[in-house]
Amino acid sequence: MIEEIRSDFIDATDLFTDILDNGFWAIEIAYFPSLCDERIKDGVLVPFSYRFDPDEFRRMLHSNPKYENADNPKEWANLLLKGYVLLKIEGKHYSFKSDRTPVTQIDIAQVESTLQGPQAAFTEDLNINMFLLRLRYNVPSLTVEPFDKGTLSRTALFVVYDHRLVNPNILKSLHKQLDKVKLDLLQSSGQMIKQLTEKSRRLFPTILETERPDRVASMLSKGKIAILINGSRFALLLPVRLFDFMHAMDDEYESFWMSRLLSIVRYFAVVLTITLPALYIAIVSYNPEIFRVQIAFTIDGSRAGVPYPSFIEVFIMLFMIEALIEASIRLPRIVGSTATTVGGLILGQAAQQAGLVSTIMIIVTSVVAISNFVIPNVSFSQSVRLMKYLFIVIAMIYGVSGVAVLFFALIVYLCNLRSFGEPYFALFTSRSKEKSNKEKG
Amino acid sequence: MSRYFYYHVIYVGLINIMLFVPWTLVHYRFNGAVSGMAIAAVAGTFLAYLTTSLYLRFPGMSLPDIVNSYLPRGFAVFLNLIGASLWVVAGILVIYSYSSTIQQFFNPDMNPYLFLLLMTAAGVWGASRSTRSVQFAQEIMLLISAPLIIMILFKAIFSPWLDWDAIRVTAGYVRTPPSFISFCAATFVFAGYNTLAVFNRLLPPGTQIRHRWIIPLVCSFFLLVSFFVPIGFHGTVGVAEYLYIWSVTADSMIMEYGFVYRVLYVFLLLYTALSLMFAMNTWHTAMEFIKACHPRHKPKPDQFPVSPANWWINLAFAGLTFGYALWTNEQRNQWVNQNWLIARTFSDVLAAVILGWLAVKAARRKRSPIPSEAASQDS
Repeated sequence: MIEEIRSDFIDATDLFTDILDNGFWAIEIAYFPSLCDERIKDGVLVPFSYRFDPDEFRRMLHSNPKYENADNPKEWANLLLKGYVLLKIEGKHYSFKSDRTPVTQIDIAQVESTLQGPQAAFTEDLNINMFLLRLRYNVPSLTVEPFDKGTLSRTALFVVYDHRLVNPNILKSLHKQLDKVKLDLLQSSGQMIKQLTEKSRRLFPTILETERPDRVASMLSKGKIAILINGSRFALLLPVRLFDFMHAMDDEYESFWMSRLLSIVRYFAVVLTITLPALYIAIVSYNPEIFRVQIAFTIDGSRAGVPYPSFIEVFIMLFMIEALIEASIRLPRIVGSTATTVGGLILGQAAQQAGLVSTIMIIVTSVVAISNFVIPNVSFSQSVRLMKYLFIVIAMIYGVSGVAVLFFALIVYLCNLRSFGEPYFALFTSRSKEKSNKEKG
Repeated sequence: MSRYFYYHVIYVGLINIMLFVPWTLVHYRFNGAVSGMAIAAVAGTFLAYLTTSLYLRFPGMSLPDIVNSYLPRGFAVFLNLIGASLWVVAGILVIYSYSSTIQQFFNPDMNPYLFLLLMTAAGVWGASRSTRSVQFAQEIMLLISAPLIIMILFKAIFSPWLDWDAIRVTAGYVRTPPSFISFCAATFVFAGYNTLAVFNRLLPPGTQIRHRWIIPLVCSFFLLVSFFVPIGFHGTVGVAEYLYIWSVTADSMIMEYGFVYRVLYVFLLLYTALSLMFAMNTWHTAMEFIKACHPRHKPKPDQFPVSPANWWINLAFAGLTFGYALWTNEQRNQWVNQNWLIARTFSDVLAAVILGWLAVKAARRKRSPIPSEAASQDS
């Protein structure tokens, strides 16, 4: 066995192979020490060495679920790479599962934090994630389908759903889509999203990424499907609607009226962050007569020192804020605060005092930035961040009426999207309808 | 599901302003507009009840599907083409008059074709979506604009500058014999039920359209408001001086609180939404009529992504719009508008007659059931 494995892994010096001899038996052993953990000691070495008893050892081989027959030499390389130990005992081949799990601690939610909800988040280990999910949604009808994706990485993933509630048509199209996945390395859930969406260049995400087990549990109870990927802190949920992206888990934990108020504030913020820079251009450069005279004068007065048209002003400030956001994500935590302080100084007063931009524009910029961060989901918030540039361009050409027309086109675009055949943006589509689809299908 | 039906009724009732219905009515205000409106309210309500009941007898089928499956092919294609041309013209007229309104009140120094380009692009984009997407967009746009609609309507009615005497004087002409053109113009306000011609595909079988009394109530209200409020603001004589009569009327109001002072701008933004919704619906309907002419046509109300044919047909409509804009001017536009209103009235009656005839035919055919291929559509 050892020669065959060695011929597969010619230059892999970190592969450990040896023939162990305890005086009674000689067994061949091969494994990657970096991929295996301490269980190998209790599972193989101790019973084989100073507690050796041939009968007991044979019994252990047959009764311990971690031992499996591995007589197919083609599987060997794959098993070794997954953290199995290969053994040749009395002419037969066995594999012993001893893969190392680096993560044993449950993470704390970092991207989707809540005030009073559960703080646990998914980890980068599939089994712990499954545990977290079972902790919150533990019913006999919970179905887990394992898959391997990525020709090189062979990343394990679980498709999880409640088979009493799931819509079989959606499941079918998910399977079809999973068969089409072509990836070498599957390293993050974002790659999977791109592979699973039919047209990968969509402006808005149609699959929800979340790190919160409680969100996955509550979506499973609505008949949605979750995909957990090994090595990724984020689970995928589908099919989803626009409202799911705008929904924070706090909405389910806070009091009724407060959460309603907050979600209204959130939608209002989205409309503001998309349209406000465009409206600024439109009002200043095209239709100042829309506003009442006093406000029009205030805006124009604040622009008195600015020597160029409004859209250049908007581009300067938006470039600053985008660069600042990008910098504060990329920079190490220690330097990060410097960037925000310097950026805040520039955006706050200096740019206006230097006569580069107007005071109103600074307010517009901060409203845009703050409103953008109100959106609970990161990928949706980035889509929204992109949308405002479309509106700016249309406002440069057409003014306020262009903004209105583009807003209509955006609504049509959202209504036109489908997430695995289900409508993405539609009001009052009841759950009873989804169920009737299921009965038909 | 029947709520979608009422959305159509409401926005068609509101869009009459862009099709010069108030202008036409005001033109005949001393010669039979009021009596024409009264008759139109009765006739429109009757037609609405009749046509919706007839459509409900063909569950899940659009008008082209019904015609295709019960009539000889040549005749069916002929009817579909008539339907398509009527619907296209409606969208073109609204887009053209909205663009020229914007040109006059919003961006006077802009090239008129530039704005027309934007409007047709949005119309093509909206209309080429699948029927179900159109319906969703419809609902959301209408619900977003509903607060503005209600605000403007009530602001107008309760405005201290509204002269109720002028309205009373005009209403006194109810005894004059009705004029035909104002009758046709007024029935348009009730014509929202016609969108069932395609959207009936999405009504699940067994749907009942309940509360149909909403149609006469709401549409009569819209009709009365769009005719009498301008008269109340501008006086019985002065009202005839304006072409874009409602834009001027909206400009007679101010908002005391808030950023925007003149109601006109709110009104224009609202009608951006309504005009685009109307163009989206009419062109989508026309597109479905044309697609149904193809011999192997299968209706797909929830297609995603949409077929390229949708794009081509709608781009042709956009081309027609530009052709119309090149040819027309204010007089010609009035002429086309009025003739379209007349033609539409006839086609409504015709559609009801054909549907009634085919319903009888279908009832007879039921004794020896033949499965119609279009009826097995999944909504």
